[in-house]
Amino acid sequence: MAKFMFLHRGECGGSAERSPEEMQTAMQAMQAWMERGQSEGWLLDAGDGLKPEGRVVRGDTVTDGPFAESKELVGGYCMVEAADLPAAAELARSMPLSGDTIEVRELMGHSME
Amino acid sequence: MADHAASAEAPQLVEHFFRHESTHLVAVLTRAFGVRHLDLVEDTVQEALLTAMQVWSRRGVPKNPGGWIYRVARNRLLDALRRRSTHQRLVEAIESPVDSGPALDDEWWYRDQVPDSLLRMLFVCAHPALDRRSQIALTLKVLCGFSLAEIARGLLLTEEATKKRVQRARRRLAKAEVGVDLPPPDALDPRLAVVLEVLYLLFNEGYSTAAGDEPLRDDICEEAARLCHVLCHHPRLGTAEARALLALMLAHSARLDARLDSDGGTVLLADQDRALWDRRLIAHAELWLARSRTDAPSRYHYEAAISLTHCRAASIDATDWPHIVALYDRLLALHDSPLYVLNRAVARGESGDVDTALAELDSIRNRPEMRRYHLVDCAAGRLHELAGDRKAARRCYTSARAQSTAPHEQRLLDNRLTRLHGEC
Repeated sequence: MAKFMFLHRGECGGSAERSPEEMQTAMQAMQAWMERGQSEGWLLDAGDGLKPEGRVVRGDTVTDGPFAESKELVGGYCMVEAADLPAAAELARSMPLSGDTIEVRELMGHSME
Repeated sequence: MADHAASAEAPQLVEHFFRHESTHLVAVLTRAFGVRHLDLVEDTVQEALLTAMQVWSRRGVPKNPGGWIYRVARNRLLDALRRRSTHQRLVEAIESPVDSGPALDDEWWYRDQVPDSLLRMLFVCAHPALDRRSQIALTLKVLCGFSLAEIARGLLLTEEATKKRVQRARRRLAKAEVGVDLPPPDALDPRLAVVLEVLYLLFNEGYSTAAGDEPLRDDICEEAARLCHVLCHHPRLGTAEARALLALMLAHSARLDARLDSDGGTVLLADQDRALWDRRLIAHAELWLARSRTDAPSRYHYEAAISLTHCRAASIDATDWPHIVALYDRLLALHDSPLYVLNRAVARGESGDVDTALAELDSIRNRPEMRRYHLVDCAAGRLHELAGDRKAARRCYTSARAQSTAPHEQRLLDNRLTRLHGEC
């Protein structure tokens, strides 16, 4: 088994135009997905959302960032375990997020023994 | 986050939690900070809901979701107002102190304020500075927690038109410096009458089948009844008229599920499966009508009584039609509407007097409100059917079919015509 990080790009299911009812439905679908991951054991860490504001440090310069457009912005992450990259991508596909992008990246996971 | 329960016994949100909580937050926070910040309050509440959605998705629902979301919304609003005030010295102008005073900190304070704040906002949304359509749109936005897209769907408007209407309403309220107060006792009656009418129209908007099988429309009915219910529990605002309106809404709501068949087609009263009627809601409607007794009954009293007369009947044939005719007589004495005449004519025909009923229909046919109104021909068709004149019935239904524009109505009339054809 290998470990993967899911990076959510986009609004993470939350556009300003969403109605409260739609938000509740989306949240409950996402919760169900997370709960399934926990009970089946492939969700290693439910992760967290990331606030949009931040700082970008490049050498000695510190600027307000990030500079990515909001649909490119990393809005959250979580960690899962899967047999291989295709299996991980399949799990990402089952995430009930509408309109967002999920980047699936395998951790290098080299043992230091 | 410490107040998140372990996922094993994770608390679940009640149905419509986000929708209702957003209306509570907007009402309480607008009351605290003033109508001119309504825009900011709505945006802040929306952001707080988005945060809750993202955090709770991963960590489950906290033990006290209402308190959690209130704290987030309140803190963000205070931050936003402080940021503004440092630039604009707005602090003095804000009705409540911006520094988080003890009252705003207390979630129990918030809970206590909800019913009263909702009622005050109801008077703000139904303010005479706004026209009726804007009052309805703003009430749906602020007090029912619908998005602009949902309101547009419910009112058969474009999203752009809805947005403009709501924005204009907010601006007009700010310009008129409308306060979040209940009207003083000597000005209460006319203002309350407007509030009741807005709720009544809101409910009808949801109930009328003109838009077909949009599930959201049941939600509009539910929200209108919820607000009316809050109103009825207020010592001064829960008047006989308000209680009768609630009875009317509950009696109609009891039949909502039976109105649509499995394909979303309309089922007429005569064909409805009465086992699907919600007995619990009917009992509540009876209770509220009993509590609404007064020497001067309103249209809501009579309309509720008519609806409940249908609810009490075990079948269409067991309906007390003469009683319904008498109730329409009283309604017409209050308000001379051709729609009441139309409905009374149908009831009169069902009670056996088809000739008088047809004459009454003819008397309103040329009233300006009834021109190009296919319901007159529908009613006439039904009356001819009752009298056994299938040919005349067919003629009327065909004419109604030609005037009708809504697909589900056309389907209904086609069925009627097919059935008549089969019986000939």
